[in-house]
Parts: sequence; structure tokens; C-alpha cells
Amino acid sequence: MLRVYFDHSATTPADPRVVEAMLPYLTGKFGNPSSVHFYGQEARAAVDGARREVAALVGARPNEIVFLSGGTEANNLAIRGVCEQHAEHGRHVITTSIEHSSVRGICDSLGRRDWEVTRLPVYGEGVVRVEDVRAALRPDTVLVTVMLANNEVGTVQPVAEIGALVRERRAAGQKIWLHTDAVQAAGGMRVDVDALACDLLSLSAHKLYAPKGVGALYVRRGTRLAPQNVGGHQERERRGGTEAVPLVVAFGEAARLTRLELDARAEHVRRLRERFEAGVESRVSDIVYNGDRARRLPGVSNISFRYVEGEGLLINLDMQGVAVSTGSACSSGSLEPSPVIRALGRDDELARGSIRFSLGKDTTEEEVDYVLEVLPRAVENLRRLSPLYQHQFKVTSSKLQVEDRTS
Amino acid sequence: MPYSDLLKDHLANPRNAGTLADADADAEQSNPVCGDRLRLSLRLRAGRIEAARFLAYGCPPTLACGSALAGMLEGLTLEEAARITRDSIARAAGGLPPRKTHAAALAAETLHAALRQCDASS
Repeated sequence: MLRVYFDHSATTPADPRVVEAMLPYLTGKFGNPSSVHFYGQEARAAVDGARREVAALVGARPNEIVFLSGGTEANNLAIRGVCEQHAEHGRHVITTSIEHSSVRGICDSLGRRDWEVTRLPVYGEGVVRVEDVRAALRPDTVLVTVMLANNEVGTVQPVAEIGALVRERRAAGQKIWLHTDAVQAAGGMRVDVDALACDLLSLSAHKLYAPKGVGALYVRRGTRLAPQNVGGHQERERRGGTEAVPLVVAFGEAARLTRLELDARAEHVRRLRERFEAGVESRVSDIVYNGDRARRLPGVSNISFRYVEGEGLLINLDMQGVAVSTGSACSSGSLEPSPVIRALGRDDELARGSIRFSLGKDTTEEEVDYVLEVLPRAVENLRRLSPLYQHQFKVTSSKLQVEDRTS
Repeated sequence: MPYSDLLKDHLANPRNAGTLADADADAEQSNPVCGDRLRLSLRLRAGRIEAARFLAYGCPPTLACGSALAGMLEGLTLEEAARITRDSIARAAGGLPPRKTHAAALAAETLHAALRQCDASS
């Protein structure tokens, strides 16, 4: 059976070149970067090199990059770090209704601790509106956190325009910062911290063909944060703990390759996604795209299949070797349709039927064609089972019966 | 969410899927919270269930429980069918993760609604 991985938004396989760069640091080059001797300095040099590469990927200076364990920790350090450091200036945060669960969780926990959180809508397109951010800004707003690209539908948010608003406020004397979660965006579009005018930006290596367990937070020079991991002097006091040298080296190499290959990768997945979506449209009826199709990451396609539930479709596809993901979750009889898809204004049924297909740099045309062969059958099989699908044919006849009785 | 091979097989190869044109009982129940829906059609002959068909919308356990239930019913008397419990449905579906037991409850509820229709018509 052919196995097709269409879940690159969840994680990517480590690139062999990345693994090769990292291996020496698991064996002979094992030093602690804080040690003064040869071994330590060898490791220090490697971490510094990786820091330069990650900085170059987002147009930052190396000393503005803090290595840590991944995207969730980066979001924690950014949001909690700014809020704890600057609580005296105000206790209001602006965010969106489609943030990654880590940002959502952090904002929820701030909300339980005397902070006010404004969660902006994203309308049917899955994109936050700059005028809504402007209207939500208050004199006591200390942080705006808006993701650069959404993890479920791939929609790109107007972070640069929001950055300009935040800059205006700051020029007027307000203590206010902008954080953006670029974990999904970094592998699919050019990211530049100055163009975005952001103060903090989260990155995760395993979305960029590096292993799991490492990420980075960009912290603009002059931005003060309350560290969340204390007790070590590493990362200029911003994140205590011995650097995960092999993972950091892997991240550096992955960042270098991403910088060099991004345009080609984006073009590749965009072309394959076009082939995929055209194929789905011609083979499957009653589909709804989720998220503004003109403003998406190039490798992501999120589609709701009417009358079927996402997890059943996911398992059917998995049994035929195709790995995708769904926002649908149902447990203990309580439905938790994806908050992101719900935020787009979709009803429960469409939210439950949403499937995310995310393509990667090594995806092939043959893989797309295999999914196009398997998917329509899987949808059809579930629809044949679905009373909702049967009901749609009966609606007209039952209406007729009602009319018959009244006439 | 790890599902058993049997449960996944119910999903890929549902038993007794569909409806019956000449059904003696045709019950549809839904879980108002999560929207899961199960429809069960039965045809009787000489006091036994001659044919059973199901339709289902919802999470994989709901589909598997519908398939398992419809597969269990044919050949049973109404009394035997009435003794089917949510646990026996869950077992026949290949077992359910702890947070998905509501799927078997919905199947049992739908079965009993269908049996009530049989009783009423007999």
C-alpha cells in the first residue's frame, strides 16, 4: 500500500541533510556550551552558528534569537514574559479567535488572573481585520498577539498592518508590544521581523524539516521579558537551561535550507495543491473550502465534506495509507468542533466534516493522484451511510406531504 | 485516539448498511449534544428479525456501533434483541475508548426505540 503523508502542518520529516549536520553533536562533539574548555567552545561555536542561521531566516540579529524547546514554549515566554514584565502599564491583551491552542491557553489563563483579553473575530474568510484591532486598542493594552498564518486553514493574517498600528501607539508613548506566532508561516512564506514590525516572533523547528524539541523566540532588541525558566544564565538570562546543542544545530541547518529553498518549496506545493483541489472539485460534490483561498499558505487546503464527519473520513483515509488531520473532536458525547472552523461561522456539521490536507516539499504528483483516487470513494462510502445525506433527498418530499395535508 | 482493528473494519466495511423499503420498524435517534445520529430499520418474519439495516452519522465509534448492532440482530427474536445491552454492542464493535462509550448508548437507545415500534405494531 502506498503511504502518503498529507499532514505537514502537524510536523515534517527531518531532512537527511539536517540529520547529518546534527549527528556529530550527539557523539564526539558533546560539550556544554557554557564550559570554558575546548569541548564547550566547540559546542558554543555550533550554537552561535545556528543562531546566525535562524536569525537570517527571519531578518533578525543573532542576539535577538532565544533558543527553547518549541513553539508552545516560545508562545509562553513571549506572552507571559511581556505581560508579567509590564503589568504595571496595563492588563489588557488583544488576540484573535483562531490562535493556536497554546496561545489560546495562555490567554485563557491570563483571563483568569485579572487580565482582560479581547479575542477578535475572523469572519468567513478566517482573517482578522485591521480596523477591528484599531478599535480594540486601549490605553492599557500592553500586548497584541496575532498569528502570522493559521495552523488549520493556513490563512495569512495582516500582521504588518497591525505592527504599524502598534508602532503608532508606541510613538505616542504607550507601552505596547506585538507578538506573532509564525510557527506555521515560516515554512511557507518569507518572514521578516522588520517588515512585520513585530517585537516577538515564535518559531518551531519541526515544521521546517528538523527534529522535534527545539524552537526559537525572536525578541526585538530592547524588549524586556520576565523569564519563565529561571536559574540559568543561558540565552542572555532569557531562558535558563543547557542548550539542546544537537537540536539547535539541526534547527540552524533547517533554517539555512529553508532560507535558500523556500521559494522553490512554496512554488512546488502551490502547484500540487492546485492539482489536488481541481481534482477534488471534479470528483466530489458538496464541499466547502475553509479560509480565504487567496490568502493562504501555499501547501494547505482545508475542506469540509458535507454529510460526513471528519474523524471517520480520517480513519478511512488512514486505512488506505493517507495521513491527514481533522479539527473534529467528539468525546464523552460532548462535541468540540474546531474552534477555528467555528470562528469562520461554519455550522457544527461543516465544522465536524473539516479535513486539513497539508503538502510538503517532498510531496509528489503521484501522491496527489493517489489521494484523488482514494478520497472520493471514502467520502462516498461515508455519505452512503449518512442519514444526513439521505435526509437531503427527503426534505422536499416531507415538505410536499405537509402541503398536501394543509390543502 | 487508538481504535481497534475490528472497529476500523466496521468503518471500512460496514455490515448491513442502508434502509429497508418494507420495514416494520424504522427508528432514528440522535445525541443532541454532539449531533451523532443513528437510524435502524427492521423487518420481521414469524416473530424474528429477518433483516436489519442501519445508517449513521458521527464519530467512528457511532458508525461502528451501528454496523455491529445491525449485524447482531438478524435471526433474533424480539425478546432476544431486547436483551442486547450497550456493553454487548460495544464489544461487537471492537471495543470503545473510555470517552466514546456514548456511541454504544446511542445504538442501544435506537434499538429499543425500534423494538417499541415492533411491539406497537404486533
